[in-house]
Amino acid sequence: MAIQIDIGKTKRQKISSHSKKPLKRGDILSYIILTIAAILVLMPLLWMFSTSLRPTSESFSLPPQWLPTQFRVENYLAPFESNVPFQSFFFNSLKITLAVTIGQLITCSTAGYAFARLRFPGRNFLFILLLASLMVPSQVTIIPIFLTMRSLGLIDNHLAVILPGLVSAFGVFLMRQFFKQMPEELFDAAKVDGAGYIRTFLQIALPLAGPALATLGIITFNAIWNSYFLPLIFLNSWDNMTLPQGIALLTGYMGSGNPSVVMAAVTMAILPVLLVFIIAQRWIIEALTRSGLKG
Amino acid sequence: MPKSGLLPELTPKRREAMIGYLFILPTYIGFAVFILWPIIEATRISFMEFSIIGKSEYIGLENYAKILTDMRLRTSYLNTIVFTVFAVSFNAGIGLILAVLLNRRLPFLIRNLYRSIFFFPVLIAHTYIAVIWRFLYQQDTGVINYYLGLLGIDAIPWLSSAAWAMPAIIIMDVWKNTGFAMLVFLAGLQSIPATYYEAAQLDGANERQIFFKITIPMLSPTIFFILVIFMIGALQVFDSIIVLTAGGPGDATRSVVLYIYEQAFQKFDMGYASAVSMTLFAIILILTSLQFYISQRWVYYDE
Repeated sequence: MAIQIDIGKTKRQKISSHSKKPLKRGDILSYIILTIAAILVLMPLLWMFSTSLRPTSESFSLPPQWLPTQFRVENYLAPFESNVPFQSFFFNSLKITLAVTIGQLITCSTAGYAFARLRFPGRNFLFILLLASLMVPSQVTIIPIFLTMRSLGLIDNHLAVILPGLVSAFGVFLMRQFFKQMPEELFDAAKVDGAGYIRTFLQIALPLAGPALATLGIITFNAIWNSYFLPLIFLNSWDNMTLPQGIALLTGYMGSGNPSVVMAAVTMAILPVLLVFIIAQRWIIEALTRSGLKG
Repeated sequence: MPKSGLLPELTPKRREAMIGYLFILPTYIGFAVFILWPIIEATRISFMEFSIIGKSEYIGLENYAKILTDMRLRTSYLNTIVFTVFAVSFNAGIGLILAVLLNRRLPFLIRNLYRSIFFFPVLIAHTYIAVIWRFLYQQDTGVINYYLGLLGIDAIPWLSSAAWAMPAIIIMDVWKNTGFAMLVFLAGLQSIPATYYEAAQLDGANERQIFFKITIPMLSPTIFFILVIFMIGALQVFDSIIVLTAGGPGDATRSVVLYIYEQAFQKFDMGYASAVSMTLFAIILILTSLQFYISQRWVYYDE
């Protein structure tokens, strides 16, 4: 799959392709370094996967075995049968993640469209104010948000985690950039046809914004699927917890949990991320590169 | 038009403005409720002896005065600074090396494969990574000590000694986040115009000269950007620490955010926690403004 980040790259590739020199020593050295780095990155994940398929008695066997030697698929059922409600963790995470993702797609696409395409007094000021909010660390806002949720009786309620996630300055920024790049003629034509602002947005701009929506959706999905801070503060009964909380719970204090079962649970928790990554690598990498937002 | 019933007497211009406000309304409500108002509230609370059930009262600058004398906070800040300095240097340094190597003459597929491998850990939750690494770091049964043993190094008490717990957290962080720096650096490298390299080659510059005289200067805005982004992230380190060491042993890995979390949600001393969070906010604000100011200058310089 070709990822064209910009023109500079294609030019550079052209040079390298018509200078087909034999491998130099530097090339071999860089292959070696890259390969060692790749192995170091993959090893913990490989250990996770092979441990998840081993019987518990062998989970600490040394020397470590990197490839699965046995296939104890029942390890993958064990979290569901353990004393913690693993199934609920999974569904809670899915529910919260989907709610936040869908909510953000709506709020960010309308706001992004307004900031890009509609004229209203104070537009630039309001946009910059919104962007400035990216600087605010969540530790500052969390205490008042906690007190608000508490007075609304939303502690240990999924809404406490969903509501603060529904808006995103980063998402608005991303959508605005995309709508801004759309050709002017498109909107002139809609105006000539007598389409109102809302119809132009819904029937012309939004259907063309697929790639931007997909990018935002994927980034948000991943961020919320992985989030730990908000659920840790708001969700305290086992039945309401999310997957990261649940897996920390399954691991037990200071790692006393059964490694094979824990690794099977972690593998299952990472699986959606892996799938999304394989399918949508191109968008994720491009968007993160362009925006510089940490995943 | 069907909508004219809804907003009957508006000129097109006002109508456009109305719809503009309507479209940003959900975002602005969320912004007001979950960011703007909480900042004001947090500032107010930071001047209070705050009680979650009983009465709260204003105590002036007392919380801020306590910050200056709180030895545990000082330890937490020192830990956070140590973490930030090392994690940022290694993440950026190794990320840059990997990007430069990937930017060499590599077959397209191999470059993409390596890039995907390096990047994948960025997408995994800190919590899961910490859960995996906690097993890898085990003193007697852990994989890491096994291989160090083969090299003749005695088993390291990674998580149970005050000296090794912080390095353990830093190593894990570099494993997870270097891929992000690599990705941004690679994009930066690829946007350097090829003509610069061609000119240098014509002048007979060697690889080292090209790297230090062209690549590094052209990449400096990206390097600076990465340093600031990673610093802001590192100053807020929390997830990986709470799962891997919970701040221990003793206070050896307690970070500022972990300390704020404990003060606010375990001791319920929310006034003091708010005051501490304000100090962190100030630091991040300064860093971000610096980034903004300098990158503005760079953009200007480029043109």
